[in-house]
Amino acid sequence: MVTRWVSVAVSIGAVLLAVFVTAMLFWAIGRDPIEAYAVIVHVFVDPGLLGESMARGVPIVLATLGLIVAFRMNFWNIGAEGQIYLGMFAATGVVLWGAASHMLPPALMMPTMVVTAFSVGGIWGLIPAFLRAKLQVNEVLTTLMMNYIAMLFVDYLVYGPWKDPHGYGFPLTIPFPDYALIPLIPGTTITSGVIACIVVAILVYYVLSRTKLGYEIRVVGESASAARYAGISYMQVALLGMLISAGLAGLGGLSIVSGIIGRLRPRASPGYGYTAIIVAFLSELNPWIAVPAGLIFGGLVTAGEALQAALRIPFSGIQVFQALIFLFVITGEFLKRYSLEVSWGRR
Amino acid sequence: MAVGVEWLGAFLSSTVQAGTVLLLAALGETYAERSGILNLGVEGMMIVGAAFSYLITLATGDDLLAILVAMGMATLLALIHAVISISFRLNQIVSGLAITLFGLGLSGYLTFPDVRVGILRAINPSLPMSMAYRQSTPKLPDISIPLLSQIPVIGPAFFRQNAIIYASYILTVLLWWFLFKTRPGLNIRSVGENPAMADSLGINVYLIRYVATLLGGALAGLAGAFLFIGYQPFWVEGMTAGRGFVALALVIFAAWSPLRVMAGAYLFGGVEALQFRLQVLGYGTTAPQFLLMLPYVTTIIVLVALSYEMIRKKIGVPAALAIPYAREE
Repeated sequence: MVTRWVSVAVSIGAVLLAVFVTAMLFWAIGRDPIEAYAVIVHVFVDPGLLGESMARGVPIVLATLGLIVAFRMNFWNIGAEGQIYLGMFAATGVVLWGAASHMLPPALMMPTMVVTAFSVGGIWGLIPAFLRAKLQVNEVLTTLMMNYIAMLFVDYLVYGPWKDPHGYGFPLTIPFPDYALIPLIPGTTITSGVIACIVVAILVYYVLSRTKLGYEIRVVGESASAARYAGISYMQVALLGMLISAGLAGLGGLSIVSGIIGRLRPRASPGYGYTAIIVAFLSELNPWIAVPAGLIFGGLVTAGEALQAALRIPFSGIQVFQALIFLFVITGEFLKRYSLEVSWGRR
Repeated sequence: MAVGVEWLGAFLSSTVQAGTVLLLAALGETYAERSGILNLGVEGMMIVGAAFSYLITLATGDDLLAILVAMGMATLLALIHAVISISFRLNQIVSGLAITLFGLGLSGYLTFPDVRVGILRAINPSLPMSMAYRQSTPKLPDISIPLLSQIPVIGPAFFRQNAIIYASYILTVLLWWFLFKTRPGLNIRSVGENPAMADSLGINVYLIRYVATLLGGALAGLAGAFLFIGYQPFWVEGMTAGRGFVALALVIFAAWSPLRVMAGAYLFGGVEALQFRLQVLGYGTTAPQFLLMLPYVTTIIVLVALSYEMIRKKIGVPAALAIPYAREE
């Protein structure tokens, strides 16, 4: 292992390399890379855009914190995207039910949405967890498949029974009432979801480092056989761990419908669940790094939208940028871990 | 339209087409996994193959060139995965995922209308603008095999298809034979079971893993090219829709054997074709999304059924799958 400073330097180097390659990609399609990066920086500086960035960062941070819990127990939860969708579904369901039945006082709306989004998102994660614990079914594939199922389910709802009758036929639900929206921090353009992120990060840190569950999660993550030897029930840890992981992603979904869009529509998440995987790795599964890293990636999403609007650079350009950061950081791991010894053949 | 012989024939034909996408990708992944490399990047390689086949066909009208470029680009992605997984010995799940995210982003980037026009013009400066904005291209033509295509019902389904599908039949048999009946195939399998042992016997573990992974990439690219020009020649961003991942499940379902891969591919292809044919019949017009879920639900059910009953004891998971190999010195 190398020192902390070399490790950080390699990570920064990876990001810079990604910046460079992406600039080349922009240049290759005839756009000015300097202008593009100016837009990206502007997104973090302009107060109005900063608010947008933070709002998009919240679901990423929440999903990432959830993934940190799962990855710490070596459970490859690739299903954050689907769990986000289930959270969006649950939160929207509460709003629609409240609007239809008038049985939910406005003051209780948001707390109910929080509990429901967490629970329903969590349940979506329990299925792959159970299958893995009981039957050793590969969780990478099951969580992935459930992403597609979840997205199709939400599609069904917004194109069908949940479509706003006054929405001119567009696949949208009714707009959420004010008390179902996440408020801004008073006096700023920044969503109070950011505070929730910090609170959740503290909770995740506390659970992972100071509770029995957290200890068991870490042992299971280190070595399944050691865990068994220590009498830890994989089933229990997997279920609880994934409930939390998927539940947090579900909260991320709530922060999308209540913090960004204000209603539910198809493709409401532009891949936040997958972005969260990248951020979880960049943060080295550390909740304290996950918060700023996730918020920065939220800024990148906003930048992507701005680039498409202002410079006709496709939004996928930002997705390529994020994937490149991911690729280079992964490769950088090699430099951090081994003294240079690339293997090719027999010597 | 009633469910009659005609419907059955059309259904079987769709099954073969839908199945071929999965078949090609899964054949490649079978080799990669047999050598011990898990490649979650198949989805990214497939969509890149599809995107390049779209761009090249649109720009030049040359299907063969499109296929070759598609395979080449996918193989490049596979090379990245190979270097990270084999030479750098880093986590294969992470590397594969990163490649998939990169491939998805890149394919969307290159095919974005404004960007696409520039690329197409660069390849073929004399391309008319009207062509450049098209999202669809002519489908690969069907070739009827005389006599065989005359067999009622199943004849046209298997023998009135396009060239890539015929190639897939040959590939399946060839790859099965190579893996199980030749020395190099045995070497591949031993590398995936016990690389240390293979290494001590003088087998070049790294080379075999590289070749197997690159082959996997090439076939994933071919699968993507087929998806577009041979099956659904209408470009939609993200049109692979998780097929690469379904192919991964298929490899497990097929117990890492090419012949069983073909059977499984047509099974999954049948599910996809069924969903489409049911829509044509009028089922699910109010909620087509549930029919669309069928392939993904089927994949989960298949994975569970496999794990259940400890079938795994009879099916050989390559013992060294996804474990990096480092020669102890």
